[in-house]
Amino acid sequence: MQPISSPGGPLQSDNKEPRLRSRIFTSMGTVVSLAVPAAPATAPQAAVDELEAATAVVEKLFNGLDRTFSLYRPDSEASAVARGELALTDASADMRRLYVEASEWRTLTDGAFTAERPDGVVDLAGIVKGHAMREAGTSLLALGLKDWCLNAGGDVLVDGSPTPSSARPWLAGVVDPADRTTLLTSFPLGGYSLVNAGKRALATSGTSERGHHIWSAGLQGGQGAGFLQVSVASADIVTADVLATAIMAGGARTLALATARWDVEVLAVKNDGGLLATPGFRKPAAQNS
Amino acid sequence: MRLRAGISAALASAAILLVGWQAGAHVADSNASGVTTSAAGGTGTGGTATAGGTASDTGSTTNGTTGSSASGSSSGTGVGSSSSSGSSSSSGTGASAKAGASAKAGGTYAGQAVETRFGTVQVQVTVKAGVITDVTALHLTDQEQRSVQISNRAAPLLRSEVLSAQSANVQTIGGATVTSDAYLTSLQAALDAAHF
Repeated sequence: MQPISSPGGPLQSDNKEPRLRSRIFTSMGTVVSLAVPAAPATAPQAAVDELEAATAVVEKLFNGLDRTFSLYRPDSEASAVARGELALTDASADMRRLYVEASEWRTLTDGAFTAERPDGVVDLAGIVKGHAMREAGTSLLALGLKDWCLNAGGDVLVDGSPTPSSARPWLAGVVDPADRTTLLTSFPLGGYSLVNAGKRALATSGTSERGHHIWSAGLQGGQGAGFLQVSVASADIVTADVLATAIMAGGARTLALATARWDVEVLAVKNDGGLLATPGFRKPAAQNS
Repeated sequence: MRLRAGISAALASAAILLVGWQAGAHVADSNASGVTTSAAGGTGTGGTATAGGTASDTGSTTNGTTGSSASGSSSGTGVGSSSSSGSSSSSGTGASAKAGASAKAGGTYAGQAVETRFGTVQVQVTVKAGVITDVTALHLTDQEQRSVQISNRAAPLLRSEVLSAQSANVQTIGGATVTSDAYLTSLQAALDAAHF
């Protein structure tokens, strides 16, 4: 079927907003959504089926990891470890591998990111969602999906473009922590241009998470020196997620360490409302369309 | 002072290897090695005979293929003491090997950047008719790299300096993790609903 511009409707230009389709599910205490470009009008049902099949794969993956790692489930492996019934050395390969990865991040961030609560209980909540998104990305690639956007409770991982066969990046808004119905800014992810230097992931950490998996708040020099919200863009979601959490916990010192040690862009909202940002979050670099 | 010694030592060993390569390439032509000897000497002191005595030791530890006449030219780069050229022999190896390999006829050749304990060192050698006429340092330390890092530091900015965004223009919303309940009233929920 050839696209025909109807006489009654406005002729849409090439710069029109990309049309998307998305599906959601709940897991890990939050909502996960998978969005893909809306298919051409030739086979809409096939495209919907493809999206729903992909969503089902990602949902299964998230729920499987949640059953292993959630401390909210008394029957999870993580809960058994927390109660001291299961030694970490006897835990599953998944559990041990993720614990090792979290421990490496603890070293790399000078202790700002940690997988242990102050009471010594192992809690991998700070890394398990990023890990789940990373695994989901691998699955979507294996399914042959080229253009998609995965949002798990405000952390974003994309591939390709919202407009298939174009260089256009996905544009991710960043919520204003002072007013969650407005956006502070946006950041381009994915796409095939060099504007964002290969950044595919954006993770945000905020005070709402404090008490869940940000325990190192004592590292910060008092309330005024801390951050209300930290967003990190990176090539991979685990790096973005871990560093956002680490900077929230470690404050300005960890922020300086992160920007010096990793190829990341950071936007931090201070407790007094002021902003700190790396060049990628400044206007000229962020402008892309 | 140690930095300066290291740089000049690296340059000296670069000259050793470069000239050594030339000596090896034109091994049958005794005139050629004679020319390179005096040319390298011209960058520093001119003492060919005494230099040959001190630097032949250096040459033998640095590079087995280096001819003794070529080594003689190396201490002429102004280092003066054989001890300093000895200490630098390893650091300059990578830089000069590449330059030497391409320095056949003439032109300007940049060596590989070499990590030393003084920082990153990279030399550029100018050759005319098989004679080194100039040796300059392109890259002495990693200061350039540091400036890149500094430029990526997070700096204060005004809200008007970030790209202002409206939810109509974005395809997804990033923010601190929201609970399933909070999702219902979130911007992301509105986007998802619009795309369902």
